Amino acid sequence: MTKTRGGFSRGFTRRSFMATGSAALLGSTALGSGLFSGGLAYAQDFDLMATSGEPVYFRGWQFRTDVVQSNVDAYNERMNGNVDYATVTGDYPSLMETTLIANGDLDVLYANPSSAVRYMGGGWVMPAAELPNGQEIADSMYDNIREAWSVNGQLLGLSYFVSVRGTLLANLQRLDEAGFGDNPLPTTWDQLYETIYALHEAGVETPFLPHWFAEWFGISWGFLFEVMNRGGQVADAETHQPMMTVDGPAGATLEAWKRLWNSGLVPEEVLSYNEAAYIDAFRSGRYVFSPQQIYDIKTFNDPAQSADVAGHISLLPGTEQSWGLIDSAMYLMTSRDRPDALTDDVMRFTSWYGYKDENGDFAVANRWLEENMLFSAYRPVMESDAAREAIQSSVARPEDYDTVLEVYARTPYPKGVWNVVWSEEFNVWLREKLFSFLQDDLPVAEVIEEANAEITRLNERYGI
Amino acid sequence: MARLASPDTETAAKTPATRRRGELSNLQFALVVTVPVLVFLVLVIAYPLGYALNLSFHDIRFFGGYSATWVGLENYADVLSDERFWNGFLLTVRFTVETVLLTLGIGMALALVVRDLPPRWRWLRALIILPWAVSPYGAGIFFAYLGRGQTGVGTALANALGFDTSINFITQDLVVEFLALGAAWNMAPLVAFFLLANMLTTPPRLYDLAKLDRMSRFETFLYVTLPPLRFTLFVFTCIITVLSIKTFDYIFTATQGGPGSASSVLTYVLYRTSFQNLDLGYGAAMSFYLLALILISTGIIFFTWGRREARR
Repeated sequence: MTKTRGGFSRGFTRRSFMATGSAALLGSTALGSGLFSGGLAYAQDFDLMATSGEPVYFRGWQFRTDVVQSNVDAYNERMNGNVDYATVTGDYPSLMETTLIANGDLDVLYANPSSAVRYMGGGWVMPAAELPNGQEIADSMYDNIREAWSVNGQLLGLSYFVSVRGTLLANLQRLDEAGFGDNPLPTTWDQLYETIYALHEAGVETPFLPHWFAEWFGISWGFLFEVMNRGGQVADAETHQPMMTVDGPAGATLEAWKRLWNSGLVPEEVLSYNEAAYIDAFRSGRYVFSPQQIYDIKTFNDPAQSADVAGHISLLPGTEQSWGLIDSAMYLMTSRDRPDALTDDVMRFTSWYGYKDENGDFAVANRWLEENMLFSAYRPVMESDAAREAIQSSVARPEDYDTVLEVYARTPYPKGVWNVVWSEEFNVWLREKLFSFLQDDLPVAEVIEEANAEITRLNERYGI
Repeated sequence: MARLASPDTETAAKTPATRRRGELSNLQFALVVTVPVLVFLVLVIAYPLGYALNLSFHDIRFFGGYSATWVGLENYADVLSDERFWNGFLLTVRFTVETVLLTLGIGMALALVVRDLPPRWRWLRALIILPWAVSPYGAGIFFAYLGRGQTGVGTALANALGFDTSINFITQDLVVEFLALGAAWNMAPLVAFFLLANMLTTPPRLYDLAKLDRMSRFETFLYVTLPPLRFTLFVFTCIITVLSIKTFDYIFTATQGGPGSASSVLTYVLYRTSFQNLDLGYGAAMSFYLLALILISTGIIFFTWGRREARR
């Protein structure tokens, strides 16, 4: 086995790389001469056919498992693969982390950037930069995404999806019913809150469903994106030092939350929702505005999935400020102790699944875009006609297509608190503190002071 | 003249002694029976317990290279000044007391109902065990749906009665009671089954005598039905106390410790400390306080109730 500090094979073994190169040359020659119509496994610059016969353990969270299984089946069938796919239920980042620590059966996994940075800090993952086509993959990505997904200049993983969590969606039908149909949609958080209270005065019982649900990406992410949308930062992107102030965007966010909570417009049960319940609540049609995933515009406008609101869900324009934050996920390769031949298969599968298939197509990324409007980090995927068609078929109004791109282009990424090893710990702390802020009516200044102190403590603990 | 024993008699006399020598002494028999069990216990309990104890004296770090720094009793002292620990401790006690009372109450009620079923309805006795067959994970999801105003039983009932309102049980004030009810729903059938088995061994003539004495239904329950059940109730009080204190998966799936931290019982705080923050040394120290809580609780139940029942 080729072992290194992190316990993984550095790129393909020399023998497999030579075999791959020779096979690729033969394959391309055969294709060029028209003598061989199969063996398109060489469309990338290395052979994607699995060779070890050993299982490659691929784990992810539960989202369209039917699509994932079908993609995996296609790989196994066409590339002689033996990929074992399963989902992990529960607290995904923690479960993955303990599996990685235990050197468990795990080769490829989904991860958000914050988790990926932490796993990298533990030495449990093999960066995508170590793929034979790692540079090509990095060059295909949008610069801002590549930067968000890199540590010390090394790209950590391949693109699963890039989305905007916190896109402000509006139920146009409810606005019309309340007599607000002719008013322009709010363009800032302050305008949004004013509209919410005006709607309530006009008789709408629940005008707003805030991003305050119980998942690990719920209330804490809601705070992060509102602070950034208002022009602030929770921590510095480079030094990771705290940056929140009472009279700045963080203070304004908490003041707005306190007023909203004390007004009684938000049912307490929202605080215990999981993501499914949160989505169900908005598609029930009871709420007028809500920050949601940008790709769920498709879900909400699909009559088969959201009969009560389909065709009426639009989004607030990003002309004056951003909405939400960049929510993305990667396919990561682990660095667990395993034979070189298996590590090579892990690389083959990851490249096929997370980049291009044996025909040179972004098959998996294109499918996600078409079926679920999951955006990709790859420029060729997002700039294709298929992408335009996928988005246009998912929005309520033709002009929303441009708004989607406008919002997408402006969305910030919380590098200061996500691209740092203590990211998950701070997230857990922040989630609890924000719930306490609402339920126990804590003072704004106290919460901000404690949040800054917690970031300082974590920086000291990890020597940052 | 001394009588000489014949060779046959001699052999016959020696045989039992020879057999006795081949037999195991009481001590040997006890060792043969218990040593494998003790070895097994050492492997599955003592080793992880010792490992956790060792962890609790260290500050464990995984990032920037694995390290374990000896800190002595510092983790134990820090736990005692941790607000999250005390909040979790109080919630655990509240959840446990309520779950035990509800489980025993519902179990007893179920047992009484199914005991008196007419013969053609006795097949229902088999059905009452079904909730117990649901995993705590499943029960958590089930009760999360039941408790929420959006999907729950409270809103459904209110709407059925003509009220256009949403009733949510997963609130800061009610969530522990609601969770205790769910845990009781899950565990009470087992209690009911054992109590029913006990009740069916009570001689029917005792009930006839109670009628002759003109006892009310409550007096009959108190003086005829209850006495033979007391030891079973004591055993289940201990079992449910332990199960309630270490409940995690049910609460995790039902409320994720929320809303906010309103149902963050001690096991949930431990989970966050050890598996989300990866602070394994501190988490291990906290887990020994949890172990102490279990031992003290069951000890109190035994010394105040169990010894009395054993003497009867």
